[in-house]
Amino acid sequence: MERMLCTTGFTAKTAEELFGLLRNAAVKQRERQKFQSIRPIPASAHSWNYFPHQRGDILEFSLTPFSGASPHVEDRVSMRDFRKTAAVAEPEVASYLGKAECSDSLRGLFECAIHENRQGSGVYAYPTEARRSICGCHTKNLRLELYGNELRATLVLFSGEVARDLPVVDRDWLDFTDAAENRGANRAARLERFLNSQFQYKIMSCPHYFVRIGLTRPYREACWLMLDTLFPIPKADWLEEF
Amino acid sequence: MALRQTPSLKGEDPFRRIIEACFRREVDSATPFPNETEDLIETGILDSMAWVSFLRAVETASGVSDLGSVLNEQPASIASVLAALRESSKKPLASDHSQRGIGRPAGTLSVLITASCSAQGSRVVPSEEVDHAFGMPIGKLRKRAGIESLAYATKRENELTLGAKTAEEALRDASYGAQELDWIIATSETHHDYPALSAQLHSRLLARENCGALDVGGGCLGLLNALAVAQSLIASGVARTIAVVTADVHSRTLTPDCVAGEFGGLFGDGASAFLLRREEDARGGFGYRLGEFLFGCAGQYAAAIRVAGKKGGGLDVKFEGEALSRAAITRMEMVISAVEMRSGIPRASVGGFATHQPNPRLLTLLAKQCGVSPDAFPPICRTSGNLGSSMCGAALHTALQNAARAEARQRKPIFLTSLGPGLLFGGSWLTPA
Repeated sequence: MERMLCTTGFTAKTAEELFGLLRNAAVKQRERQKFQSIRPIPASAHSWNYFPHQRGDILEFSLTPFSGASPHVEDRVSMRDFRKTAAVAEPEVASYLGKAECSDSLRGLFECAIHENRQGSGVYAYPTEARRSICGCHTKNLRLELYGNELRATLVLFSGEVARDLPVVDRDWLDFTDAAENRGANRAARLERFLNSQFQYKIMSCPHYFVRIGLTRPYREACWLMLDTLFPIPKADWLEEF
Repeated sequence: MALRQTPSLKGEDPFRRIIEACFRREVDSATPFPNETEDLIETGILDSMAWVSFLRAVETASGVSDLGSVLNEQPASIASVLAALRESSKKPLASDHSQRGIGRPAGTLSVLITASCSAQGSRVVPSEEVDHAFGMPIGKLRKRAGIESLAYATKRENELTLGAKTAEEALRDASYGAQELDWIIATSETHHDYPALSAQLHSRLLARENCGALDVGGGCLGLLNALAVAQSLIASGVARTIAVVTADVHSRTLTPDCVAGEFGGLFGDGASAFLLRREEDARGGFGYRLGEFLFGCAGQYAAAIRVAGKKGGGLDVKFEGEALSRAAITRMEMVISAVEMRSGIPRASVGGFATHQPNPRLLTLLAKQCGVSPDAFPPICRTSGNLGSSMCGAALHTALQNAARAEARQRKPIFLTSLGPGLLFGGSWLTPA
């Protein structure tokens, strides 16, 4: 049995994509503080219909040793249920994520060229070129926007490069915006006001602010970039503020 | 008051045309155009990524910004998008910070380019000589970039003399006196002195004291920025006649001791000038009507070119040639597509493409990418090199000259596209008046 820190992502409202961090055992002792991402998957799908564990849970598991097909090399089939053994706080999860795959440039995210959609919006990588499907980054700025009822992120990396209109698939942030939209009148306008005003203060100034970018499964020969994880996790009491 | 000069086919709804064209980009050709009230996401016609992409494309094509915000809490349907576009077109421009949109109310203040001129540095240097000066293999500029010669300023020429020469020529061509100018708008990527270029031009041309002088930036995009400002000043009614002048002398700053030949060797020296006037004040004769402008900044390519002054003199240049080339071609093709969609003018019916010309090789590639004849791009850079903000100006002047030689009814529209570090981009179109 091994132990994994759960850092869940979220790809759809009906299915969860799970991420975890493993202490990297394949490197020398002096680099044992490095971590690698894994994505446990059920034997017959890429995501979980029901996954009861939370971000920050430490889970015992048993996974096959085989990696998934490129670029989703983090995929590992789960052979039995997970069992929670402990939990760590949110800032600690973010700090562990900072010790896993990280990049300050677009090319470095998946070790390949990133292309913009010439027709409309979004950015993508070719599945044959991307070397992984998840990567962390610090950004100089980040903006979330409710656009046509969809939550989208635009960010500028430390390299100065900008990635626009990334779908936000972070479970906690989607739950937060859903909850916000179910509150009172002018919900979308109020949520927009929050994202435009309070967001910078609450998110960008947070000491454990951190972003993880992921790649979708290949679709029409492209894997689209999405914002998988955004720390800090939104707080329920923020809903009272708008 | 907003401008409205968008040509469209008789009886055609420009909003519907744009929506259909943008929808087609997101689905395969076999997908029928949906019922207007169908929710595109719920029915699975578009996924959420394609829906956002579709809205962004509609924004670019229509010039209506922040469509997504308007559509929050609305069904993801064609009817919603159509209604949002129509609603946006009713808003007065003063309360709307966005760029002008296709459906804005029709105004009468059309702006014409009534005269133009361009000039290059008088010293023509074979590219092999430039190869040698920069310590590059002889023939590199010709073989790799397609540059045959470069136009360099002589000792007596600078941004002011070249700019003034073109402005005077344009004024003479239109039979206007400099005292008729309400504004002189100048742009240059090499003139950084004070008094600024527009102020120096003001004095040199002997414009009225109450003629405004303004410098605008943007690097190679400078001409489009300047034209857009001029158009706005005329459209707002505060000006009737404006001279837009570009002037760039790279040969004094991008020297072999400052920069690598792969960068510095591409640039030449030149200038251009355009006289803009309200259509109803124009004195007849030749003229091209300015269309709407679209602008933006593709920050993901910002790292491909950076130029900064070094402490103690010299230039710190970051130039990723291959990455910049790819980005330039991709982005200019996108701008041409957006101009095509917003104007309703198919690229096949365009008489000339006055674009930024990084080098002849990339110009050929751009023509190929756009699926149009390379002959529609005036080949300025082949013999003069990249002229910076004057590049687009020289190409536009040549396109206008070609049009002037044709019979009035055979004149065709001109597309205008350029880029600047950042990566700034912009586009517009001109139609015969």
